[in-house]
Parts: sequence; C-alpha cells; structure tokens
Amino acid sequence: MFAYLKEFNFVSVLFRLLLAMLGGGIMGFGRSKKARSAGFRTYMLISIGAALSVLLTLYYYAMLHGPWQEALARVGEKFDASRLGAAVITGIGFLGAGTIIKSAHQQVNGLTTATGMFATVCIGIAAGCGFYECAIPAIVIAALVLNPMSPLEVEFKRKLRNISMTVEFESIEDIDKINNVIKEHEAKVYDIDIERFEKEKNKFPSAIFILQMSKNNRSHSAMLSSIAELPCVRSVHELIA
Amino acid sequence: MLSIFDGLRDLSTWNVIIRLIAAALLGTLIGLERSAKNRTAGFRTHILVCLGGAIAAVTGLYIYMVMELPADVSRISGQVITGLGFIGAGAIIVTKKMSIKGLTTAAGLWATGIVGLAIGSGFYEGGILGTALILLTQTVMAKFGSKMIKHDPQYKLEVRYEQKHALDQVLRDCKDNRLAIVNLHIQNKTGPEDPDYEAVIELRGNMRADQLIAHIKTMEGILDAYVV
Repeated sequence: MFAYLKEFNFVSVLFRLLLAMLGGGIMGFGRSKKARSAGFRTYMLISIGAALSVLLTLYYYAMLHGPWQEALARVGEKFDASRLGAAVITGIGFLGAGTIIKSAHQQVNGLTTATGMFATVCIGIAAGCGFYECAIPAIVIAALVLNPMSPLEVEFKRKLRNISMTVEFESIEDIDKINNVIKEHEAKVYDIDIERFEKEKNKFPSAIFILQMSKNNRSHSAMLSSIAELPCVRSVHELIA
Repeated sequence: MLSIFDGLRDLSTWNVIIRLIAAALLGTLIGLERSAKNRTAGFRTHILVCLGGAIAAVTGLYIYMVMELPADVSRISGQVITGLGFIGAGAIIVTKKMSIKGLTTAAGLWATGIVGLAIGSGFYEGGILGTALILLTQTVMAKFGSKMIKHDPQYKLEVRYEQKHALDQVLRDCKDNRLAIVNLHIQNKTGPEDPDYEAVIELRGNMRADQLIAHIKTMEGILDAYVV
C-alpha cells in the first residue's frame, strides 16, 4: 500500500492532494481559533496549490521519460525537478508579505500568519512529493504543538519580565519624570529610543522604553496606568511582538 | 495515470485548444463560487488566471517539444507561481481597523493559477482533482469550519476614567472573568479642568461585551465605557 502510494498514479495524486489539504487544515485550525485573518480555508488552498505544483513536476518528469522521450533524446535533459517547488516558496513569500501590517504604534502584526503560510506550503510540497515520512510527522507535530499553545501564549506574555512600550509626552525633559515612575515600580531600563517631533505638526515627542520588571512586581498594566497618570504624558502603549 | 487522457497529452492543435477550453471552464467553476459570494475577484479574474496559467505552461512545453530548443519545461510554470504570489499580495486589503481582508481570495487565486498550469501541461488528473478540492474547501469547508471553530471573541473595550485605581479595578475584573488582556493603550485626554483618561483594552475571552460594560459602568471613577 505504502509502496503503491509512493508511485506516481491517479490514486497517489488524489491521496497526496488530500493529505496536503488535511495538513493545511490542521495548520490553519489553530490560527482560526485565535480569530486571525487567515482562516483554515486559506491554509488548505495554499497547501493544495503547493502539492499540485510538485505533482506537476512529477508529471513533467514522467512524461519526459515516457511519451515525450523523442524530444528528450533530441534536445537533451534540461529539466529541473525542484523548480516548481522553489517557485511555490517564493510565491508564498510574496503572499505572506501582503499579510504583514505595521500598525501606528510601530508594532508588527501578521508575521505569524505569514510564517504559518510558509510552513504550510512546505508541508504541501513534502506531501506532493510523496515524502510521507516528512509530511505526516509534520502534520502530527503541527496538530499537537501549534493548537494548544495559543491560549497559553497570551498568559505567558503577560507575565514576561521584559516589556517594551511607547510613551508620548509633552517635552523631552519629561523623560526624567517617566524614569522616576519606572524606578518606583522597581523596573530596570535597558534602552530608551527617543523620537522628537515638532509641536507645530501636532505630534508629541515619543520614546520607546525597553525595560525589565522586577521579580516581585511584574504587573504590566499597573506600570502603564501609573505612567499614564503623569500630567505630562499624552499616551502609553505596550508593544507586543 | 488515467488512460482516457492519453490521447490528449501531445501538443497537436486540437489538444492545445482543448486545454485552453478546459482551463477556462475550471476557472469559471471556481470563479462562479467566489462571485456568488461577491468577493473582489469574481469569475472573470479566475478565468483569466486559470487560462493564463494554461497558456504559459503549454508555451513552456512548445518551446521544448516542438521548437526543440534547450529549455526547462517547468521554468515558465514556475514563474507563474511566483508572479501570482505578487498579484495575490495586491488582492489583500488592510482595513482601517488593521485587519486583513481578501487573503482567502488571494490564496484561491494562487491555487487556481496552478490548476491552470496543470491543465496547460496536459496533467488533467491534477487539474481536475485540484479544482474539486478547491471547490470543496471553498464551499463545504467554509460551512464546516465556521461550525466547528468557536472563536474566542476578541474585542476592544474603551474605558474613560478619572483615577488610576479605577483602571486597575477594571483590569482586575477582566482577569477575574478569565478575559485575556491582549493589549493596552492609555491616552491622557485631560483638558484644563478635570482629569480624564481613555484606555483602549484589547480583550479575548468568553464574556459578553454588554455584560462587562454594564458592570464596569457601575464602578467608581469610571466616566464611560463602550466597545469599539
């Protein structure tokens, strides 16, 4: 049975496409649960496309060494069996780039969607090749690892000691006051990245603070709200990767 | 491979015409489903992509098999896959709420192009099975998926408050109700008079927004609360 599915025939084509679809569905499932943009249909579609591309390569090869042998004998072997698979990876890279948004607070969204799409087409390519030893474990790992992770992730990030935030304030001198509040919360400042803006343009100066909270006092929201309470501070926003 | 297609695998004029018609037909099938849902890319877009893919693939074969020039038969097909990635990226819209629309359409367009390549190369089995699975995904899976997946609703709560401890209380309440705080943004809107802060809290969890708001509004120091 396994040996039969390793050959290039109608049944194995169907099986590989279905396997790719399943892999895409499982990869997408965890993402859909998080209410992300790319539902599991998107992942299924790209996975089917990736598998079909590789199957097309196998078809070319089978034809060149079968019915099209004459041309092969006359012109010579110029065929590259990895070309379509490689093109899939490039193409999905572009598609993924379209999903990445840089929000107003210098925060990047959609990166996980894009990387998930990339990993999905890679599973699709393995499935299309009939490289079941790779595709099936990958799908199992994706099902086990990717899905239950997501509820934990937010909780985990909330308790991280390292935090970055953007603060908008009235004038550059106010940084000292913000630093004092940070010290009151026993946090250490790693880095401050200041951006000056001219007042006429109706934009306030802002800074990105990268800090480490103390072990006993790691509530992000408590610190954010204390900083917001300073009269000189216009806005506070935590940056979440 | 299925033997009924064996007569259609060489590059006679009739076979080329049959491939183009088949590609247009499969493109129409996929596209009709999309345009029935009134998506950005309707059936004409899908026909063009599928037909274009078939033309590109069959040309790639022609260069090698009929013109007998040294070339890789799959190179043009490969470029189609890359190029459609570009087009797909253009179909994705970033809305004002910073969410993404059109990604499924883009993915479907990309897969349709590959179906076109398969048909154009004479790989009818792959093209037809691919179309069937794409349609299955777009119709059955769409319904099945929305039933099976229960979203943890994610929403933005906007709270206006006077004192810091009011916000602290709101955040504590959210945690007590097992709502995950995804992000927090606080803005100081204090004018010349009373203190006034506006916090946008992004939440995810299973509590209904109207219940939460009703509760928050009763709390001390809260000026206003609503869901954005």
